[in-house]
Amino acid sequence: MARVFNWQLGREMSYWYPESRPQRQFAAVFDTNKCIACQTCTLACKTTWTSGKGQEYMLWNNVETKPYGSYPLAYDIKLLEMLNGQQWSGAKYEGQTLFESAPAGERVLGWRPEQRDYAYPNVGEDDCAGQVDHGEFLSLPHMNWFFYLPRICNHCTYPACLASCPRGSIYKRQEDGIVLVDQGRCRGYQECVRGCPYKKVFFNPMTGTSEKCIACFPKMEQGITPQCFENCIGKIRLSGYLSPPGKARPDNPIDYLVHIRKIALPLFPQFGLEPNVYYIPPIHAPVSFNQQLFGPGAGEAMKAYRNAMNDPDLASLLCLFGSTEKVINRYHRQGELAVAADEKGVELVRVPMREPVHIRPAVDQKNQLVRINCP
Amino acid sequence: MRYTILLVALFSAACSRAPKAANEVVAVASAKVPAQPDDATWEGAPEYTAKLVPQDLVEPRLMNPSTPEVRVRSVTNGSEIAFRLEWDDESKNDMPGPSRMVDACAVQIPEKTEKDLPEPQMGQEGKRVQVTYWRSDWQATVDGRGDTIRDIYPNATVDHYPFQSKALEKGSDAEKEMAQRYAPARALGNIRSGPRSQPVEQLVANGPGSLSPGEPLSAKGKGAFGKKGWAVVISRKLPEGLSANQRTHIAFAVWQGQQQESGARKMRSGWVSLLRKGE
Repeated sequence: MARVFNWQLGREMSYWYPESRPQRQFAAVFDTNKCIACQTCTLACKTTWTSGKGQEYMLWNNVETKPYGSYPLAYDIKLLEMLNGQQWSGAKYEGQTLFESAPAGERVLGWRPEQRDYAYPNVGEDDCAGQVDHGEFLSLPHMNWFFYLPRICNHCTYPACLASCPRGSIYKRQEDGIVLVDQGRCRGYQECVRGCPYKKVFFNPMTGTSEKCIACFPKMEQGITPQCFENCIGKIRLSGYLSPPGKARPDNPIDYLVHIRKIALPLFPQFGLEPNVYYIPPIHAPVSFNQQLFGPGAGEAMKAYRNAMNDPDLASLLCLFGSTEKVINRYHRQGELAVAADEKGVELVRVPMREPVHIRPAVDQKNQLVRINCP
Repeated sequence: MRYTILLVALFSAACSRAPKAANEVVAVASAKVPAQPDDATWEGAPEYTAKLVPQDLVEPRLMNPSTPEVRVRSVTNGSEIAFRLEWDDESKNDMPGPSRMVDACAVQIPEKTEKDLPEPQMGQEGKRVQVTYWRSDWQATVDGRGDTIRDIYPNATVDHYPFQSKALEKGSDAEKEMAQRYAPARALGNIRSGPRSQPVEQLVANGPGSLSPGEPLSAKGKGAFGKKGWAVVISRKLPEGLSANQRTHIAFAVWQGQQQESGARKMRSGWVSLLRKGE
C-alpha cells in the first residue's frame, strides 16, 4: 500500500494506490436542514439513469431518515461496528481507516449487502418519537428528532470501490475526479459493492456488471448541475469543484463552505475515503450524533449555521443553493445580493438575500374593490 | 458359494466403473468430441484428479479453502479438444444477483506450446494464457431461462421500462437502441453481459487482473448439475502447435457460488501436464 495524505483526517494514511489528485474535483454541498425527503432527486435520477432491466432496485440517489433509516439496510451501522469504535484527537483521526484495518487477504475492510438489504429503501422513514400529551408510547435511544440524509456517490478522492477492483475496472477521471465503472471492462465480481462503505455501487444481474452514480458527467461537462441537483425542489444542493485545502479560493462556493468556513462536512470521514459530498449538519440533531456522521467539526459547523443570519457572506452563499441549473464557479456578495458566475466569470444569477415582501391592502381603493384571497 | 459369487460380481462391477486414473491429463483421440457431460465417449478417457488450492497470490485472496479437487477427462478429434470437469458441490448456484455468486469453472492453457511456461496464475507479461470460462447462470440462459428480471426474481413487478414505450414499434431499431441505452455494458459490447448463445467465454490474460476477450477459438460448453455436483464440458480449438503425442500444460479453476466465490476468490490448480495422445 502507498502512503497518501487525507486532509479530512489531518494525517497520512495507507491506500492501495499512490496519491493522484485530479486536476479538479467534482464536489457538492447538501444542506440537511432544508431537505424535506420529497425524493424528487431520487426520481430524477431513477428516470434518467436506472430505468433498465436489472436496475429496478438501484437508487444511485436516495434520501434516508436518520437516525433509523438506511439504504441498503444498516450500511453504516454495520461498518461502524466492524471498525469497532475509533478515536479522533481534535481534528486528527487517530483510529484506523477501512484501508488500514483490511483483514489479511483483503484490500479493504468491507461487507456485501444481501438482496433483502435493498428491499426497504424507506425503512425508518420519518421515524421519530415526539412529545405527546400522555407520554411516549415507546422509548428509543434517539428521541424527538430526526433528519433527512440525501446520498449519492461521494466521488471520493480515495475510492474504496476503485481500490477493491482486482482488475482496474473502476477509474477516477483526471479532468473532474468523477469515479466511474468501465462498463466495457467490468466483470461483475462485486468486489466494489463489498468495498464501498456507502454502498453506492450496485450489481446489475441482467448485464452482470456493477453500476453506480456518474455525477451526470455529460451535464457537468457542459457546466450544468446533475439531475438530482437541478430537480431539488428544496434547493438544498450546490454542485461545483473543490480545490485541495492549500489552494482554496474564497470566491469558490464549495471551497468557501468546506475549507474556509468549515460548515460543510464529509460523511463518515473516519472511513478514510476523503468523500466529496459535504453536508451542512442538521442543527437540531445531537452534536454527538452529528460528530459520528460528519466528524469532529460538526459542533462548530452547527454553531456557524445557526449564526448565518448575522453572517451576510455565508447567508448570501446559502441563498445561491438551487438558484440556477448552471454550475457556480465563483460568487460574491453585493450588499443584499448574492451574485454567481461561471468559470469564465460570466454572471449566472443574482439572488436577493431577503425576498421583497409586498402587502396588499384588503380593499383596492382605486377600483373600490374588496380583494379576495383565493388560489 | 453364493456369497463368493456375489462378492466376485460386486468386485468386477466396481472395477468396470472405476475410472482409469492418470498422472497427467490425457486427451484421447476420438472421431467425435462429446458435447454432453454424460456422453459415453468420456468413459474411454482416463481421469486425472487435479488438486485445488485457494488463490492466494493477489488480493482479494480466498482465505477459506472450498473445492478440494476437480476430476478431469479429455478428448480430441485433432482440431478440437474437450475437457470434462467434475467437482463435488452441494448446492446449485446459477441465479445472479447482489451477493448471489454463481458456480463456474475454467481451463487455462499457455498461448504458445513451449517448454518455458507462463506463471500458473493468469500468465505473465509476454507469456499469455488462454482461458475458457464456463458459468452456471449462462448455462441456465442457454438452456432456456429468459432474459427478464422475472426469470431471476419471479415475484418482481415492474411498472414500465422506457424501451417498452407505446411510441416505440416493437422490435424496431429505435426500441433496441433505447433498451441498450439502459444496459450500458451491453451497449459497449461487454462479452459477459449476455444474452448468450454459449455458456462459455474465451479469454486471454497476461497476469492477474488482465483478463480480456480473446480469439473465439470455437469455444463451447455444457454443464449439468447432478447428485454429487457439477459435470461441465468445455471445448475449444486444439492449442496451436500441439501435435499428436506432444505435451503442453493446463490449469483449472473452480468457483462455488455458495461460498461467495467470484473473480480472484477461487480454487485453482497449478500447471498440469496435458498429453495429446496419438491415434
